[in-house]
Amino acid sequence: MNNPLSVWQTPAMTARLKGRYASERRFRAIGFIAMGISMLFLVFLLVTMLAQGVGGIDWAFLSGSDSTEPANAGIWGAFKGSLLTMGVTLALSFPMGVLAAVYLEEFAPKSPWVDWVEVSINNLAAVPSIIFGLLGLAVFINWMGMPRSAPLVGGMTLALMTMPVIVIAGRNAIKAVPPSIRDAALAVGASPVQAVFHHVLPLALPGILTGTIIGMARALGETAPLLMIGMRAFVSTPPGGITDPSSVLPMQIFLWSDEVDSAFVQNTSAAILVLLAFLITMNGIAIYLRNKFETRW
Amino acid sequence: MSPNILLLVLVALTALGWFVGRAKARALYTGKGSLHSLPAHHATHLALWILIPALAGWLIWSIVSPGLVHSAIMLDPAAATLPAMEMERDSIISEAFQLASDPAATAFNPAAEGLVEPIRAATMKFNLIGAALVALLAFAGGAFAYTRIKANFPARTRVERAVMGALLVASLMAILTTIGIIASLLFETGLFFSKVSALDFLTGLHWSPQDGTGPEVSKTYGAVPLFWGTIFIGAIIAMIVAIPLGLMSAIFLTQYASARVRTWMKPMLEILAGIPTVVYGYFAALTVAPMVRDLAEKLGMENPSTESALAAGLVMGIMIIPFVSSMADDSIAAVPSAMRDGSLAMGATKSETIKKVLVPAALPGIVAGVMLAISRAIGETMIVVMAAGAAANLSANPFASMTTVTYQIVQLLTGDQEFDSAKTLSAFALGLVLFVVTLVLNIIALRVVKRFREAYE
Repeated sequence: MNNPLSVWQTPAMTARLKGRYASERRFRAIGFIAMGISMLFLVFLLVTMLAQGVGGIDWAFLSGSDSTEPANAGIWGAFKGSLLTMGVTLALSFPMGVLAAVYLEEFAPKSPWVDWVEVSINNLAAVPSIIFGLLGLAVFINWMGMPRSAPLVGGMTLALMTMPVIVIAGRNAIKAVPPSIRDAALAVGASPVQAVFHHVLPLALPGILTGTIIGMARALGETAPLLMIGMRAFVSTPPGGITDPSSVLPMQIFLWSDEVDSAFVQNTSAAILVLLAFLITMNGIAIYLRNKFETRW
Repeated sequence: MSPNILLLVLVALTALGWFVGRAKARALYTGKGSLHSLPAHHATHLALWILIPALAGWLIWSIVSPGLVHSAIMLDPAAATLPAMEMERDSIISEAFQLASDPAATAFNPAAEGLVEPIRAATMKFNLIGAALVALLAFAGGAFAYTRIKANFPARTRVERAVMGALLVASLMAILTTIGIIASLLFETGLFFSKVSALDFLTGLHWSPQDGTGPEVSKTYGAVPLFWGTIFIGAIIAMIVAIPLGLMSAIFLTQYASARVRTWMKPMLEILAGIPTVVYGYFAALTVAPMVRDLAEKLGMENPSTESALAAGLVMGIMIIPFVSSMADDSIAAVPSAMRDGSLAMGATKSETIKKVLVPAALPGIVAGVMLAISRAIGETMIVVMAAGAAANLSANPFASMTTVTYQIVQLLTGDQEFDSAKTLSAFALGLVLFVVTLVLNIIALRVVKRFREAYE
C-alpha cells in the first residue's frame, strides 16, 4: 500500500467515487423524467381528446353549421370562417412581410429610422396577442367603422400579428443566400433590384414559405384577438363573404366549451381534433419544405 | 357601377396598357443597345402610370363622396320635411341609407321611406361620377406614359424607384402597427383616467367595475388583485412548473439523449408548443380543474371552487415548457465547448460539468429566456379565461379562484357595452399595463441575450 496510486483505492475514495457516479445517474434520471412528463402530458391530452371526440366526427359534423342542438351542430360554418380569415391574413401579411424583409436585409441604409423598424418588428413578435385584439377593436372597428365579427377585420388583425413572424423568417432566409449569387448577377449587368428579385428571392423562398406556414398555423389557432373584435357570434349559416359575420374554428371550440349541455363535450373534442389535424399537417408541410429545399451553401 | 366591376375594368386596362407599352417599345428596337431599358420595363412603367393615379383618385373619391351624397340628399325636396333636430334627422337618414342598400330591411320611421329613392339616385350619380373620374385618370396616366416611351427613356430606373417605394412602405408597416398600438392604448387610457383616478387604479385593492364617475366609482377600479392574480398564475405557479421541467428537458436533450432520441423528441416538444391555447384552456377546465378540486377536498378544504389558480397555472406551465427548453438549449449550445472539455478533462463527471460549468456560464441566457417566458405567460389569455375564474381575490392560496389582467380585458369587452363607458375603457388601461410590462421584460431579455452572446464571441 505504499504505491502512490493507491490513494484511489482507499475505501473513502471508492465510496466518494461511487457517490459521484450515483449522483450522475440521478441527474440523468431527473432529466429523463422531466422530458417524460412533458411527453406524458401531450399523450394524455391527445388521448383524452381522441376518446371524447372521435365518435363525434362524421359527415354531418363536418358539413353542418353551429346549432343549439348538439346533435345537429357542425363545424363547416366555423371552418369556412377560418378559411376566409386565413385568406385575408395571408393576402396581407405575406406580400408585406416579404417586401419588408427584402428591404431590411438588402436595401435599408444605416439610419435611425431603420433601427426603429427593426426594434418594433422584434418587439411586435413578442407582444401578447390580446393587445393586437385591442388594436383591432380600437382602430378597425371603432375608428374606421368596419363590420364587427367579420373575417375581414379578423384577418387584418391577425395579419398584423403574423407579419413580424414572416419578416423575421424572411430575413433569415435572405441572409442565408450567399453574397456570391448577388455578385454574379450584378457582374453580368443586373440592377440591384433585378439581382434580388430574380436571383436572391427565389433561392430564399423555401425558407420564407416555411416561416409563413408556421406563422399562419399560429394565426389559425389564435382565439384571444378575435374575441376582442367580436368574432363570437352564433352563426348558423356559413359566411358568404369576408364581410359577413362569422366564427372561426378555435372560437367555435371556445363557444362550445361554454355550453351547459354536456353533449357539447363531444363536439368540442371533435372540433379540437379537426383543428389539431390541420395544425399538424401545416407544420408537417413546413418541416417537409425545410428538409427538401434546404440548401447548404 | 359596383366597385368590383370597376376594379375588374381597371385591372383589364392595366394589363392592356402593359401589352401596348411592350409592343411600342419593341417597335423601337433597332439592334443591340438601341434601347435604354427592356420592353418589359417600358410596359411596367406604362401599367404603373395607369394603375397608381387611378387608385389614388378612387381612394380620394371614396373619402369625399359620402359627404357629397349627404349634402345632395339634404337639398332634395323629400328632406325638407325632416325634423330640424340634428340627432333625430341623422338617425332617420342613416335608417334610410340602410333601406337603400338592403331592400329586405324594414324602417321604424316612415320618414325614412321617402328618402330611399333620392338616396339611391344620389348614390348612383356620384358612383358614376367616381367611375368616370377613375377611368379618366387611368387614361390620362396611360397616355402620358405612352408618349414617354422612347429609345433613350430610362424606364427601368423609374420602375425600380417605384419598387423601392413599395419596399419602404411595407417596412414602415411595422412601425405603424407599433404606433397604432401605443396611440390607441394611450388614447383610451387617457379617457379612462379622466373618469377614474390613476392612483386608485394602480393601488386600489378592490375590483368590481361600476359605470359612472366620481370618487365612489373610482374606488371600484382597484387593479392590484388583478396584477397579483396575473403574477401568481403566470410568473409563480407556471414558472415553478416550467423552469425545472424545461431546463432539465433541454439538458437531457442536448447532453444525454442519443441523436435518434433527439430527432424524435424535439419535434414532439414543438408540437406541444404548437397546440392552440384554446385547446389547453379546454383541457385545463375539463380535466385538470376537477382533479385540482378533488385534491383540495382531500387536503381538507371546504367547498373548493372548480376554477382555481393552480389548474390554470399548471397547464400554462406545461404550455411554456417548450419555450423555456428551446431558450435554454440555445444558451447552453452557445457556451464554448472548450469550457466543457476542460471540465471533463479535469475529471468532473458529466452532471458535475453541467451543474458547475455549463449552467452557470449559460445563466444569463437562461434568465433572459425565463423573462421572455414570463412575458408570454402573463399575456396568455385563453387558459385563464377558461380555467382561472372571475373573482378578484387577493390571496396566496393556489386553490382559490383568481382572476388576471387578460381575463378582465376579455370580460369587459365582450359584453354589449357602450364604447366610451368607464368599464370598457378600463380594459384599455389594463391592456396598456400589460403592454408596458411585457415590453420592458422583452427589451431587458433581448439586451441580456445580446450581451451574453457577445461575451463568448
